[in-house]
Amino acid sequence: MREGYNSEASLVMHVDLNSAFATIEQQARPMLRGRPVAVVNRRTEHTAIVTASYEAKAMGVKVGMQFQEAARLAPGLIAIESDPVKYRFVYKKLMAILNDYSPHVVMKSIDEGVIDFHSLVDTRPMVEVGNEIKQRLKNEVGRAMRCNVGIGTNRFLAKTAASLHKPDGLDEINHTNLRTTLASLKLTDLTGIADHNQARLNGVGIYTPLQFLDSDEVTLQKIVFKSIVGLQWHQRLRGYEVDDRVFDTKRVGRQYVLERRDLTSQQVMQRLHHLCESVGSRLRAQDKVARGVYVYVKTAERQYWHASRLCQLPFYSDSAIYGLAEQLFWQAPSAIREIGIHCYGLSDDHEPQMSLFGDALARNRQLVGALDTINQCYGERTLHSADTLNIGNVIRQKIPFGSTRYL
Amino acid sequence: MNDELYVNERIDVIATFGAGLNPCRPLKFRRPNGREITISEIGLRHPSVKGKRTLHIFDVTDGAADYRLEFDSERLTWHLTFEGDHYA
Repeated sequence: MREGYNSEASLVMHVDLNSAFATIEQQARPMLRGRPVAVVNRRTEHTAIVTASYEAKAMGVKVGMQFQEAARLAPGLIAIESDPVKYRFVYKKLMAILNDYSPHVVMKSIDEGVIDFHSLVDTRPMVEVGNEIKQRLKNEVGRAMRCNVGIGTNRFLAKTAASLHKPDGLDEINHTNLRTTLASLKLTDLTGIADHNQARLNGVGIYTPLQFLDSDEVTLQKIVFKSIVGLQWHQRLRGYEVDDRVFDTKRVGRQYVLERRDLTSQQVMQRLHHLCESVGSRLRAQDKVARGVYVYVKTAERQYWHASRLCQLPFYSDSAIYGLAEQLFWQAPSAIREIGIHCYGLSDDHEPQMSLFGDALARNRQLVGALDTINQCYGERTLHSADTLNIGNVIRQKIPFGSTRYL
Repeated sequence: MNDELYVNERIDVIATFGAGLNPCRPLKFRRPNGREITISEIGLRHPSVKGKRTLHIFDVTDGAADYRLEFDSERLTWHLTFEGDHYA
């Protein structure tokens, strides 16, 4: 053991569902078990694969690959359209299981969570708890469900441990096996190190996780990352906790890849309007108001266009969001492939400052509240703008990756 | 091409309501054409909402195909809404 590694007991556990959406589909539909399955957001040949089952992965299918390409690699590949309601149910089940072990549980995304056992008086070995969670997942969700469990002294090492033996692994990384474990990994196997950070590290002669571990904090802070991020990496790799932070919501948004390339500008605006209503609903569900609107367009020629506007007064209604987005959108280029909108400059929706137009504002607030109540009661989009009447339900809610805010 | 058929058939179901983690367990159902299907495994049971109404979705199999049954907890009705995966 080298000096400076965190030698305390491993009390952080990372639980990660294996190929979550594909496994959930195989759990729900037993005849799909043992077959190559890909979960997609839309049934087209050009759609990207959201999750592939282990059988499909073994045939070379990767997440993000076009279905057309994946089907060539894996003959008989079965495309399943994503079913967020089902995944949300399993997410809630997983969260309930994890919450039974500690009050300090953070769900990192729809398929993974972290349990912090610090300050708990539980004398059971962590490996035993990990095995129990695996068994409970099978008992309470279904026997085809599998998860990886990683144990470490901080979130980073626990997550790294959870990715060592997929599927259905259980590993611990502590000060005794830290060096041997890192010696078996590549730099990009580390969470947070992708191509860009790898290039930065390569620039100072760091090519392996062990070299990364052995580098001094001054090099990382002053030369590689040129910020406090370097110091954080120095501590993170040694097993000290630097990721125990909760970030505020900075923006609320949605994007949509157009279902056809030959839509008229009016049809594109209808889809934008639909997105604005969805964003407004999410904003209000979090009791937030916004001051800015940002719209973007990706064109068929892979160009990126964006425009934004920051207002003095906060807003929260669908009509206000669409009004701003519409003004910005008139400058957008043609040949649109994808549109997106988000609201920024968020703050909590406290009672607004008294205004000369108080009555009008109060009426608007009551109207928006009544519309939301009706939609919550009778289902999403029971009431919506007439402008979006004839587009049906083309812009359906998809899986919220990376964030658990809307689950 | 996927083997999937979306239907909306009102069905007769024999189910047990007991204790434990999965209190409601459909065992067997009869389709409008008279065909009876014995459920060998419940893959997943999850709730869903249609407005204010709660539906309980049961993804089940008889070992030859997968089926989706929907139980409307307000109207106490069962519907078969999906049949597929005859891959065996």
